Amino acid sequence: MRHRHYSWLIVLASVCVVVLVATVPIDAQQRVTLRFSDWHLTEDVWNKSLTEAMAIFEKRFPNIKVQMEPISYREKETKYTVESAAGRAPDVMHLHAFSLPSFYEKGYAMDLTSFIEKEGKGFLDAWYPLPLELVKHRGRVHAMPGDYMTMVLVCNTDLLKQAGTDVERFPTTWGGFLDFAKKATTPGQQWGLGMVGAKDPGFSLRFSPFLWTFGGDYLTADLKRSALDTPEAREAFAYFVELSTKHKVVPPGATSANPQDVRTQLAHKKIACEIGSGWTAPIVNKLNPDLKAFEVLRAYPLPVKNKRATAIWLSSWIISPNTKHPQEAWELVKFISSKEMELKWFQDNRVTSARKDVSGTAPEILNDKFAKVIAAELPYGKVEPQIKEWPEIMDAFTGAVQEALTEAKPPDKALADAHARINTILARRR
Amino acid sequence: MATARSKSIRTGYLFVLPALLLLLAVLGFPAVFSLTLSFRPESGGGFSLEHYRLLLEDTLFHQAFWNTGLLVGLSVAAHLGFGLAVALALNLPLRGQPALRLVALLPWVVPDVVTGIIWKWLYNPLNGALNDVLLRLGLLAAPLDWLGGRYLPLLSVILANVWRGFPFVMIILLAGLQAIPRERYEAASIDGANALQRFRYITLPGLRKMLVVSLALDTVWEVRRFGLIQAMTQGGPGSLTEVLSTLVYKQYFAFFRFEYASAMAVVMAGVLLLVSLPYIRMISREE
Repeated sequence: MRHRHYSWLIVLASVCVVVLVATVPIDAQQRVTLRFSDWHLTEDVWNKSLTEAMAIFEKRFPNIKVQMEPISYREKETKYTVESAAGRAPDVMHLHAFSLPSFYEKGYAMDLTSFIEKEGKGFLDAWYPLPLELVKHRGRVHAMPGDYMTMVLVCNTDLLKQAGTDVERFPTTWGGFLDFAKKATTPGQQWGLGMVGAKDPGFSLRFSPFLWTFGGDYLTADLKRSALDTPEAREAFAYFVELSTKHKVVPPGATSANPQDVRTQLAHKKIACEIGSGWTAPIVNKLNPDLKAFEVLRAYPLPVKNKRATAIWLSSWIISPNTKHPQEAWELVKFISSKEMELKWFQDNRVTSARKDVSGTAPEILNDKFAKVIAAELPYGKVEPQIKEWPEIMDAFTGAVQEALTEAKPPDKALADAHARINTILARRR
Repeated sequence: MATARSKSIRTGYLFVLPALLLLLAVLGFPAVFSLTLSFRPESGGGFSLEHYRLLLEDTLFHQAFWNTGLLVGLSVAAHLGFGLAVALALNLPLRGQPALRLVALLPWVVPDVVTGIIWKWLYNPLNGALNDVLLRLGLLAAPLDWLGGRYLPLLSVILANVWRGFPFVMIILLAGLQAIPRERYEAASIDGANALQRFRYITLPGLRKMLVVSLALDTVWEVRRFGLIQAMTQGGPGSLTEVLSTLVYKQYFAFFRFEYASAMAVVMAGVLLLVSLPYIRMISREE
């Protein structure tokens, strides 16, 4: 009897072991973990939004688990480069458009063309043509477009009213804006415009509209030489620098101010306006809820000099060529760039999309006081040259702006030196 | 006897082998890789001295080299002076001496990047504490842009660096001071030597080795200083605070010029080797 009892126990244990072996390991083997890296994960509002989105994704794809990896905005290229070189980059990464050429050249972004072809003809028709051009390398698609926004002026209407300006008749020219900024400036206490002058990826987004609207450009059309020796470029450069050095309508310390510093100035009423975009109001609101940013702030198109132009912000999603789960990674990229999610990004974070069926038609965007201004500027948007030497060129240029802002060199001399240095950089390309 | 000795030597080498292999993997491989990369053309393949030729023409590299010299020279001199002064003070029989020593060590405990961020806040021309204090004391008429202007940025970085780095020298010198026998001071006092003479003829000769050690180690540390500058200025404004370490980083990770960055790193390593030669010689001589 006792012997029989043991036998039953052994049989039961064996069955349990077989069931465990048959189920748990197979489930573990089938469930794929994707590493998803995004600088937005370091930002409260975005983190919540992305966490919710990933929960939806995991529900729809129970065989995929998304492991989220936050990364600092400034260090993302460095970390991704090192990880990619070591073959250990996250499966899905979020990048700036300007970083893409370097990643393409080094082979750190997977060719997505075959996935797109499998989705059927017309899959890419939902996106604007310009972002689609920017994610192509030698005719092949290597990234999927994400946020797509234009830079605009974001101003504190309360401060402008207190300065005696009419917020309904905002200046449309840079000359008019200077008068406006002077009125909004109280020396030592409050300034008309916040200026990003630090060596930061956000600098070019905020400087480029000045250069382009004055009719200048960084490079010649064939991208082989610097175009900073034109009268238009010199005029734009001098105007920008003199906002600080001559007219004093920007707070001191511009050369070390990054976009977050300037947003902090806006949040604490140190400045009346800054050049920003869809992300500005939510971040400012988070920095100082007492300001009531969504009520007080207002977006205006950037003033014009010789032609209407602004800079375009584009982010994009890439898949690491080293991923062990390309199909699953593609499903994730497709999901986060879907119409449904792009609308969610707008609703949660106020960023407009590179999808026409979101930014061009969604009533939520067309009726939003910030988004409608940003979306209306898209036809005038322009991007920086997409060449792998761009970060080095922009470093040389930002250095020249800083030299002029600190009056280490006269503006013309600083610009001429940058022009020569950029030509040296481009000579290597030739 | 000879066999036993050679066996013992062999055993010694066997014990050292794991550490040696680890060092080769962690230090040797990257060093050799970087060296070979520095001779490779950017177009790939072959052998070229092009990057080293470019270094001779690169004004930004020259500026970074000069800035590094200034940063290291002034920082190390200040570390030695300030470190020695604090070490002398902390060597006195003061009440609460252990607590004072702990406080003096605190800057060294703060990570490099955090120091940069803290000092960037202190220097902020709009709401920084430094301007506020100086204005209240009447030492300034208007707020200064510490990290702007033509001459201030590098000096401001050096000031932050001095604050951060002096405890390292201080602790070495304090150890040296405590090793000097008290009897020498007592004998000198009986002979009528004043404080300055005791310092000149007892303290300084007694600290000679420690001074060389701290000078060499601190110099090597300072040539490699990166996080503090990157957090404060990223080499700007212009290239006023650009040093070799920030330039190498930029060339490698921002501009993706791996080969050129490697050539810069090799030159930097060469300079470091030259700087540390006296220290290595001293250590070897003692052994």
